[in-house]
Amino acid sequence: MHILDHFFLKVLIPIKIGAINLSITNLTVWIFFAVTILFLFMFFYSRRMAIIPKTGQSLLEIIVEFAKNNIAESAMGIDAKIWWPFIVAIFLFISINNLMGIFPNSYVPTSNIIFSATLAIMVFFIIQITGIVKTGIKGYLKNFFIPGVPKWLWIFITPIEIVSMLAKPFSLLLRLTANMLAGHLIIIVILSIITIFKNYLVAIPAIFLALFICFFEILISIIQAYIFSILTATYIKDILNPG
Amino acid sequence: MDSLSIGYLAAATIIAIGALASAISIGIISREALKGIARQPEASDKIQNALIIAIALAEAIALYALVAGLLLIFTAK
Repeated sequence: MHILDHFFLKVLIPIKIGAINLSITNLTVWIFFAVTILFLFMFFYSRRMAIIPKTGQSLLEIIVEFAKNNIAESAMGIDAKIWWPFIVAIFLFISINNLMGIFPNSYVPTSNIIFSATLAIMVFFIIQITGIVKTGIKGYLKNFFIPGVPKWLWIFITPIEIVSMLAKPFSLLLRLTANMLAGHLIIIVILSIITIFKNYLVAIPAIFLALFICFFEILISIIQAYIFSILTATYIKDILNPG
Repeated sequence: MDSLSIGYLAAATIIAIGALASAISIGIISREALKGIARQPEASDKIQNALIIAIALAEAIALYALVAGLLLIFTAK
């Protein structure tokens, strides 16, 4: 077995329309599974909202208010009034996809670089379009030609600003993908110590270590979703208040 | 040495240096955050939020190194 076997796409139902490959892979199945869980959770617990919440509704309120207060409002301030649903949605979507890793033999959707790239590119275009629409072309260009800097320094600063703007989606997608990939790779590596040594003395600590890293992975899943959404919020706030 | 072993050696060096860099930076970040919390315990919530973000950003260095190392291992011929 290849060590990266869990991260390969496996085609379950091949569908091809002309040159476009729309096959159902294990990635598709796990994304739909994750989104179904999130949808059912949100739907059934927010259907009959009560003033005095029961267990499910209060759990939902805790999660959404955590994301709203600690991510959107702490990073964006006054802009969070309009933007918090988007930030909360990104947080919930990425964390439920990350948490698919706790199922045995699962395919973590965010460990696929294309999936993370889709999210990061979406965030990138949202940033650009928001900047142009909300602050106008003049305000948008202030991000690259920073006012208050001596004009001859623009020769050096403007390329740096453009590159740092283009690097944002790459750093977002690589951080998310590499974190999810690395965590699950470590579990596989620790467990394959058993098959290498073929010894019960090695097996017992290896299993406990793998168990510990499994719990650590749950923490990492939430933290990475938190990082992704808080960075998105910071980028949007930066583009809304240029200069 | 043939090119395969040079590739493996390069992958090992990359992950070693990347892990070293991120470990040192995480150490510095947590030291300063602990200092801040010790001096101002009432600001610990804000410091903790910033601490988590900074640690995740520093940790990403090691993960970039991991990605580069994996690419080297699986494409070395």
